[in-house]
Amino acid sequence: MKKIVTTSLVALALVVSANAKNWEVDQKGKTFVPSALTVHKGDTITFKNSDPFAHNAYTDEETNEFDVGMQATGKETKMTVNSAESFSVECAIHPNMLLEVTVE
Amino acid sequence: MKIKKILLLSLIPLSVFASNVKISTEYLEGERLYKQTCVSCHGMHGETNQDMQLTVKPRRLKESILSQSQMVKMISDGGHAWGAHSDIMPAFKYVFEEEQIENIALYVTTAFNYERTAKVKKLLLESKPAINDVKKRTRMGKKIFKRNCSLCHGVTGNGDSVYVEQSKENQQFLFPYDLTKILLDEDQIFLYAKFGGHFWGTDKKDMPSWKKKYNDGKLKAVAEYINEKIKKTSK
Repeated sequence: MKKIVTTSLVALALVVSANAKNWEVDQKGKTFVPSALTVHKGDTITFKNSDPFAHNAYTDEETNEFDVGMQATGKETKMTVNSAESFSVECAIHPNMLLEVTVE
Repeated sequence: MKIKKILLLSLIPLSVFASNVKISTEYLEGERLYKQTCVSCHGMHGETNQDMQLTVKPRRLKESILSQSQMVKMISDGGHAWGAHSDIMPAFKYVFEEEQIENIALYVTTAFNYERTAKVKKLLLESKPAINDVKKRTRMGKKIFKRNCSLCHGVTGNGDSVYVEQSKENQQFLFPYDLTKILLDEDQIFLYAKFGGHFWGTDKKDMPSWKKKYNDGKLKAVAEYINEKIKKTSK
């Protein structure tokens, strides 16, 4: 019985991860492109930096807290959406940058 | 008694006239020196010479946040001594006498920065108050400084940061102020953070306005933190 449960849980996890999608968000001209995303829990978001200066994408929302850190030109960083709660992402250097992430 | 009164009354306009002449002489001397020296960078009316091919253009003096006495210090010691990373604004104490520098500052503040005091006062009056709880305020100021300000101005506030170094690799030259040396007082730091450098006369917009991101209470907390914990110049 225990073996069946474990196997089905592993299978479920595999299905979820297989369905998880990666979303790309560029940082260009001091804006997030796109500026809004609708994702699912378990999806990943890759932050690119196409600007000739650094960015620092982060969110303070407790459930999906992350901080890309200082991200130089051309660098990519991936984060995972761990919670079903929607959140917004900002840049610590450029206060007018805003990305709204809706988690469905 | 009557003669004494008449004599006294006739002396009043004379003294007023004398005082006006004195102010006027200082003003005219300031104007002469400004037009002889400062005008090539800062423009005839403090609007900045836009033809200059410089990475950092001189400040638009008609929008400067500096008071007359702060301007005296800036002209005397140069921008670098007061936290500017660029040394484009030289120290004129090696060129002019103290009195001449005071005259230039008088001319600048009278001729084209005459709205500064009223503008600063109005913006401060319109702002929301700081948070009462001192401990909470300090924590908040420190958090915002670390989260945002330190990325450009450096962890200690001295203007050295990874961001500045990384930007140089892409020919993006940034000159965040060394906050340990700035002339601004706490209120001025708050207004500078709230409205950004361009509002106060910088050509570039590297120092952004933080008013959309943080409310007045939070910006006042970070201004207090910078003034009390980061700034090393005399309070």
